[in-house]
Amino acid sequence: MAPVRSCGAFYLYSFFLLLVSSESQSVFRGESFRRKLSVELNPGRPAPPPPGGDLLHVRAVGLNDTLHFLFCSQGAPTLLLVHTNSSSSTVEVDWPQFLMRNVSGSLRVEPESSILQSNAIVFSRLLEYDDVNDTANATSDLFPPYDLQDFTWAPLNLSGASALLCGAAATFANGSLCLKLTVFDSEGRDQMLPRLLHSANSSQLEVWLDGLLPRASRSRFLLELQAVGGAYPLSRVEVRRSIDDEFTPTIFKVLQWLPPLNRTSHGSGFLQWKPVSYRRSSPSVEEGSPTRSSLPRPQRGEEAFSALITAFYAEPETFGMNVSFGISGEPFYDRSRFLSWTVLLGVGTPPMDSFSPMVLIMMAVGLGTPMMLLVLGGVCICVRKRASASNYEPIN
Amino acid sequence: MADYEERQSLQGDEAEGRQAAGGPGRPLPAICDPGHLLHRVVVLVFMCFLGFGSYFCYDNPAALQTQVIQDLDLNTAKFMQLYAWYSWPNVVLCFFGGFLLDRVFGIRLGTIIFSLFVCVGQVIFATGALLNRFWLMEAGRFVFGIGGESLAVAQNTYAVNWFKGKELNLVFGLQLSMARVGSTVNMNIMGWVYSRAVALVGAPGHTALGASLMIAGVTCLFSLTCALVLGFLDKRAEKILNKEQGKTGEVIKLTDVKDFPLTLWLIFIICVCYYVAIFPFIGLGQVFFIEKFDFSPAEARAVNSIVYIISAPASPVLGFMVDRIGKNVIWVMVAVIATLAAHMMLAFTFWNPWIAMSLLGLSYSLLACALWPMVAFVVPEHQLGTAYGFMQSIQNLGLALVAMAAGAILDNQGYLFLEVFFCVCICVSLMAVVMLYFVDYLKGGDLNMSAAGRARLQKEATSDAENKRRSSKVSEGELAGKAAPMSAFGLRNRYLSRLGAQLPDHFSSHLSSLSHRSVLK
Repeated sequence: MAPVRSCGAFYLYSFFLLLVSSESQSVFRGESFRRKLSVELNPGRPAPPPPGGDLLHVRAVGLNDTLHFLFCSQGAPTLLLVHTNSSSSTVEVDWPQFLMRNVSGSLRVEPESSILQSNAIVFSRLLEYDDVNDTANATSDLFPPYDLQDFTWAPLNLSGASALLCGAAATFANGSLCLKLTVFDSEGRDQMLPRLLHSANSSQLEVWLDGLLPRASRSRFLLELQAVGGAYPLSRVEVRRSIDDEFTPTIFKVLQWLPPLNRTSHGSGFLQWKPVSYRRSSPSVEEGSPTRSSLPRPQRGEEAFSALITAFYAEPETFGMNVSFGISGEPFYDRSRFLSWTVLLGVGTPPMDSFSPMVLIMMAVGLGTPMMLLVLGGVCICVRKRASASNYEPIN
Repeated sequence: MADYEERQSLQGDEAEGRQAAGGPGRPLPAICDPGHLLHRVVVLVFMCFLGFGSYFCYDNPAALQTQVIQDLDLNTAKFMQLYAWYSWPNVVLCFFGGFLLDRVFGIRLGTIIFSLFVCVGQVIFATGALLNRFWLMEAGRFVFGIGGESLAVAQNTYAVNWFKGKELNLVFGLQLSMARVGSTVNMNIMGWVYSRAVALVGAPGHTALGASLMIAGVTCLFSLTCALVLGFLDKRAEKILNKEQGKTGEVIKLTDVKDFPLTLWLIFIICVCYYVAIFPFIGLGQVFFIEKFDFSPAEARAVNSIVYIISAPASPVLGFMVDRIGKNVIWVMVAVIATLAAHMMLAFTFWNPWIAMSLLGLSYSLLACALWPMVAFVVPEHQLGTAYGFMQSIQNLGLALVAMAAGAILDNQGYLFLEVFFCVCICVSLMAVVMLYFVDYLKGGDLNMSAAGRARLQKEATSDAENKRRSSKVSEGELAGKAAPMSAFGLRNRYLSRLGAQLPDHFSSHLSSLSHRSVLK
């Protein structure tokens, strides 16, 4: 049996070699274009960090446009993306007014005329419910929600073009809610599941809930998101089915939160995610847990407080949506006490997965070789027949 | 007419039996009389249920894929180890199952022993789940595998022993259908059993899983009972009818392997590459249908089992058709291409998977009917046992390896890539079919001959051989070589009958013991 086992091991090994080689797929995709990233913490503010939370500004400069990513934990954590048509636009913060948290216009993108559009995403509330009957329906038994605007947020932890923000509610016994923002200068995808494809026009936010003591042993969680926009906020969720689950195994859907149908253009903003969350900090397929999302609806008077939104928008339009983690029959949060979920915020056409070259090569070779054999064999036999026929002729 | 003949033969049997038993005794009632049809029907019932347990439990993991993975914290690669461990013992046992039955245990004891293996294996498997020890579950599947495949051999030997020259084809057909019923019932009922177990235990988890696997094990216990009853009845019949204990008649000589012709190797490649794209896929199918096509778990299990459901009625019909038309290579090619189409449909479209899975079921039945009998055309009869043993051995090897690979692929690259991988396997199989066609064509072989052509050839060969025998001595080797075309028709029928094809009585085979799960499925 031993040689058979080692043979199997060899087989698997050679297969993994193939897998590794398929990872180098960006060669085929072609480098689209690169943005120049510059990261600035608390822009324009001298030494002491502002009380109540940091403001991160990432400038992503393209050929003739600029994306301003603003990430702030004053109030509920907010990511604001402003798209300008100038490569020299800047962000101006009037710090005293900004810290007063109630003055619109205390954060401006200059020149104002260069702004093409802006979108923000606010992580407003974390909801918990006791799923006694394992239905995964959060209609009743909701515990008092955790308002993220009341959390105590630690200072931003920067590394390169990504920032980590962790915080906890005063009522948390232990554990924390963390958000990790990553801004990209070019197309690519994460090594970690769900391996969302991102472009240079998008940023990725990973949210995870680690070690929080649930209030019931059968607790499940929901995350409330608010999309804030100027003229055309994100107001509808589109589900796209895809036959390609190479990058996120067993997930065949992509969800997109988009502006109204007649207002969707090339340059409009989007929020994109796959309906899967993970129950371990090192995500794997079997730790995947489906997510479901409610329909977005206008949030008049229910907006979460965010200093960034107040400072930038004069008349914000807000739509809210819940993302619920886990479905009936799935393990409860208590089992692993970890949940992570990843979403992209960007402008332009949302990135779509396409077949990896490995798949294309395998199909081409797989289908092509029998065809070639058939043709070659046919030709060979024809030639032989001819030859043998002509050989017989002299005898006759 | 047929009835009359049967009655005649039965009467003949009875007369023989009594004589042999030593003088006229008190006549037995029909149901207790081993020579009587009614008694044989009773035996047939036990015979059919003999394999039920092993077929039911073989696909337990597939039927409970999500539950097994969730309750035991497995990844798919580990999950597929359950299938790999089933196949490992059979890489070797394919060669020795027949030998063990004939020489070591005898059919009766052998059947009971193999049933015990199945039972114990399933109990170990379930205990492993109860205790949440995965290695124990693997060990259980290994023990289960030792029993499962050999039990199929024993089942067929019994059938031959009791129904030789009588209703044998029908019996094979029935056994085949029972096997499929076992698989289908398992696919469709285990989800419900699990939910009941959850209600009983209170929460889903390894305890509920172990409990439902234990319940599934009851079918194995049932089969063991059948084995005991069959053993008793067979012993009794032996005494009354003074008949011999059944033999598989399987002769394995590994040195024959070096004499295998190229065409046989091509048939091996077709076989391995084809089946590795079927069984591991069914093992992993449930989650695929749930995630990609938004099926409910019950619906997913149903569509997963359609392959088995279809092949039950399709096998005899297709077998009959292939038998009448001949042209086996073309049929194999059609089956392989249809399977490729089905896999591509599943991989690249959102079309209703009922279409693709039905096509898969049909083509899979067609392949079994056309491919397995071909072996009998290319090797002489005395090497047939070795050839079939070898074929099943490498098939099990392939299944074990691909089961492991498939799990790893799914974990890392997802279902699309897995389907593409299966497509490539099918493509390799297709290449081998194309090559087989040309090789056979160039050699002027009879693999792809029509049935009429074969009959003609057989007639010529028979008279030719007779002439030769009369006129001169023929060297042994030459005779062995010539034997193949001569007996091809009969040989093929012998293996066709395993697949449940309805054949005229005079074509009935004398034994058909080499059938393993993979053939029957």
